[in-house]
Amino acid sequence: MTTHLSPFKDRQLTFLLAINIVIVMAGYFLSSGGDFISVFNLQSMAMQLPQMGLLAMAMMLSMISGNGGIDLSGIALANLAGVIGALLLPQWIDAEAAPWLFTFSFVGLMLCVGLLGGMLNGIIIARFNLTPILTTLGTQLVFTGIATVLSNGSSVNLPYIEPLSAIGNDNILGIPIAFYIFVAVVLFLGWLLKRTPFGLRLYMQGTNPKAAFYAGIPRHTMLICTYTMCGLLAACSGLISASQAASASAKYGDSYLLIAILIAVMGGVNPAGGYGRVVCVFFAATALQLLSSMFNLIGVSEFAGNCIWGLLLLFFLAYSRQELKLKIKRRQALKA
Amino acid sequence: MKLKTLPMCLLACAISTVFAAGAQAEEKKSIVTVVKVTGINWFTRMEEGVKEFAKANPDINASQTGPGRADAAQQLKIVQDLVAKNVSALAIVPFDPPTLEPILARAKSRGIKIVTHEADNLKNTDYDLEAFKNNEYGADLNERLAKCMANKGEWAVLVGSLGSRSQVQWAQGGIDNAKAKYPDLKLVTTMQETNNDGEKAYQVAQQLLRKYPNLAGFQGSSSLDVIGIGRAVEEAGKAGKICVFGTGLPGEAGPYMEKDAITGIAFWDPKDAGLAMNNVAKMLLEGKTIENGTNLGVPGYEKVTVEKGPGKGMIIRGAGWVRVDKSNYKQYNF
Repeated sequence: MTTHLSPFKDRQLTFLLAINIVIVMAGYFLSSGGDFISVFNLQSMAMQLPQMGLLAMAMMLSMISGNGGIDLSGIALANLAGVIGALLLPQWIDAEAAPWLFTFSFVGLMLCVGLLGGMLNGIIIARFNLTPILTTLGTQLVFTGIATVLSNGSSVNLPYIEPLSAIGNDNILGIPIAFYIFVAVVLFLGWLLKRTPFGLRLYMQGTNPKAAFYAGIPRHTMLICTYTMCGLLAACSGLISASQAASASAKYGDSYLLIAILIAVMGGVNPAGGYGRVVCVFFAATALQLLSSMFNLIGVSEFAGNCIWGLLLLFFLAYSRQELKLKIKRRQALKA
Repeated sequence: MKLKTLPMCLLACAISTVFAAGAQAEEKKSIVTVVKVTGINWFTRMEEGVKEFAKANPDINASQTGPGRADAAQQLKIVQDLVAKNVSALAIVPFDPPTLEPILARAKSRGIKIVTHEADNLKNTDYDLEAFKNNEYGADLNERLAKCMANKGEWAVLVGSLGSRSQVQWAQGGIDNAKAKYPDLKLVTTMQETNNDGEKAYQVAQQLLRKYPNLAGFQGSSSLDVIGIGRAVEEAGKAGKICVFGTGLPGEAGPYMEKDAITGIAFWDPKDAGLAMNNVAKMLLEGKTIENGTNLGVPGYEKVTVEKGPGKGMIIRGAGWVRVDKSNYKQYNF
């Protein structure tokens, strides 16, 4: 499956942009007084988006890599990175005396944990040839377990440190810093997937692993790189969570997994591998963030929300299958 | 392009659910109560208090919301969205108080009034409402447990979460009481978490019964702990032989008390707590303060005591809890 069929491309992006606009309008009308469009609300949503968005990007990468790729351990890894950072770092560096050093070290430590966790996933999937879904399910339990043991089950508080708190909470030019980080990641991933040999190889491996193998694409390296990146993205997400909640816990965000998968699928990523566009996943993430905030604003209960996420997931899976069938029919018609 | 029926049907379902579930937002003052988790009896009962407040104050928009699962991050998200919505006041029962500190600081800077419940370690609150002194409540449960166990034997304690401030204080109150007065009462292990989930409490109790066959007593904290413990005790055939005490609601725990699977419960009416929180929020919005002896207009909170909290807020304490067992649980209709 190539990424260069023009009509298909335009329609997908247009559809997602249309959904975003529909949700914004619905939010505007359902919450009188335009609370939904207020600067504060937009800032609040822009602050919440990166946590989910980064996890969705990780999900996208793992799905593109093919072979039933998926990363169920992202949130657990994010939590573990936060817990390790929050527990270990105060013992080595005094936060009051050196806030910037503390912040940099904290970020560095979290990214290291994310890197190692992601590498673990990649190595198990590549070398032992286990299916990603089972592997990441297992590592999810391992990461959660380690985090629970280390934190003794309770959340670990972070001392109030200006720079660290600024990452998740403050704005520059009215836009949250966390949002800048997310956009930077999105641009990087877009460049990586579209304009580097690595990206091309990743798509090829996802489309047809056997052919890719015989074409000389190093399967193990690709998989390990991919899942390591997933781990790093998860750690970024955890960093923003930890900064916003000023604490780290082994139990955060259990419910985010479904939404991250939903965003990836809604963004047109093929769960079987080989197709996924960063810009589409970005707009899918914004759409779901808007929807989630709108739910809270108009008072939709959590349970109705879960029901709706499930229905949306099914819808987009069905929709993309229909799209695929249509595309194949069209290409066959062209050939004939 | 012709869109197929199945995907369109699903999308239509999703959209109509959104509109069906939506509510009208209005311009008048709003107090939103955010609980630890929706869907359990304890907070359903609290919602009755919120509804009573809403009926008595038609000029204020009062409602209750909460996450579907006991998850601090989900509760944080809900509070963030409400702060963005600029509600007039928030009445929160935090699942993990430290998690909410940053967002509550922002809320206060926006002028939103904050009332909390079961969170006396929270700094960024205007008033934290407690039904009583938490360690005394826990000690009282422990007294009843000790009496039932004839002051000796092995016992275990369960909490909803090690981060849930009030529950940990009750458990610790019980543990300290046993240590100080009953040397023959042996605590077999540290506080066990149940995540405010009846199924998890049941599994935890089962594991404890298997690991410590001589276990003779349980003290539960979350309202679902005694339910899970009662189930496990009954299944093990030890109803009436193991003493089970904890927080619980009479309606929920009643059937188990009949079978002696639960020996006794204690509680404070969540409806009154919810009503009291909203009344405090209303008083804050009217510019009033709460002092020693203030009447919050709710039974059990007619003459409250006020003490300084860890931050700039104050802690309000009410008058006490209710002890209930097989003999008197039918007096209550919830």
